[in-house]
Amino acid sequence: MTSPDVELVRAVSEAGLRFFGVMSASVSHEIRNKLAVINEKAGLVEDIAVAMRSGRAPDPDRLEMQAQRIVDQIRQANRIVRALNRLAHSTDEADATVDVAELVALVVELYGRKAAMAQMVIEAEAPTGEIEVRTNPFLLANAIGLCLDSAMANAGGSRALRVIAEGDGDGVSIRIRGLEGDVDSGGGPATDRAGLGSLLETLGSDLAVDRESGDLVLSIRNLKPRENGSQP
Amino acid sequence: MTEKVLLVDDEEEFVETLAERMRNRGMEVATTSSGAEALERVDDEDFDVVVLDLKMPGIDGLEALERIKRRRPDIQVVLLTGYATVEKGVEAMKLGALEFLEKPVDLASLTDAIHKAKATKMVLVEKETEERIKEILHHKGW
Repeated sequence: MTSPDVELVRAVSEAGLRFFGVMSASVSHEIRNKLAVINEKAGLVEDIAVAMRSGRAPDPDRLEMQAQRIVDQIRQANRIVRALNRLAHSTDEADATVDVAELVALVVELYGRKAAMAQMVIEAEAPTGEIEVRTNPFLLANAIGLCLDSAMANAGGSRALRVIAEGDGDGVSIRIRGLEGDVDSGGGPATDRAGLGSLLETLGSDLAVDRESGDLVLSIRNLKPRENGSQP
Repeated sequence: MTEKVLLVDDEEEFVETLAERMRNRGMEVATTSSGAEALERVDDEDFDVVVLDLKMPGIDGLEALERIKRRRPDIQVVLLTGYATVEKGVEAMKLGALEFLEKPVDLASLTDAIHKAKATKMVLVEKETEERIKEILHHKGW
């Protein structure tokens, strides 16, 4: 491997580790919040039982409602864990045919809390038909995440972003809509900008601003197998 | 004497359930779901303790803590968070938090922290009152 290759691999690895760390921290925080609600609900059921033993009239409707809310919290926590699990499994193969709409929906779901903290909403728009590309799934998820970071940092007054996957010749495009003001395709923290640059180079992708629509557009071409058979 | 507590957390289901359990234990509890609203409540009412979540949209827990202590140094603040790191804990203590607790919390631990906070506030208020009396006596020359 030549020196620039080594640097590129290192930059991509660091970006990937940072991305996985941020996602894991966000998910674990959300799960702790769900556990905290479950903990309080269980405590409240216990309080109700103690009050009933002391002579208060039984209230089965109230108990049923608390039990239902515990189930709701468990369902929400399970959905979050499933999303993190899918992201973890995106590292299983370095070269795969990726359902881009599905991957976009996954990253958007994982970014839900980050967006909420920035008082924003991000939605994935379902495409018409199947949109696939041959690429490294985890690196693409990482690139989509960094594009969302960049879009949130440069959203201007916008509080709602939409992400749309489209077929695009020998590859696909992922558009981020709803940005306002001057959009800079290289926005966000310097470490993230460097990481995104390395990811785009590795994936053979481009990130540009569509001057007509103001959308941030990530274009991904199908990867071609390397001569020695190795993949990024 | 009843503790007057303000619970601040953007997870409304959590904050309302915890508030009900604390009321069952004789505390007077108000709730809000944002740091900005908490600052307004603190300006309008006299709380013994504010229990603050660390991560909230808009004004987060550390910023709210700093602003509450600036406006009302006597009010005691307990941070209650699912996002606990050593760094955040140290920062919170430096800004004047009395306790830094992790979610999910044992209600007995939270209640202990609230009792401790109330006692600390009473000491501060007594000290302040004593200083005022001394100042009045000094100025009037009695």
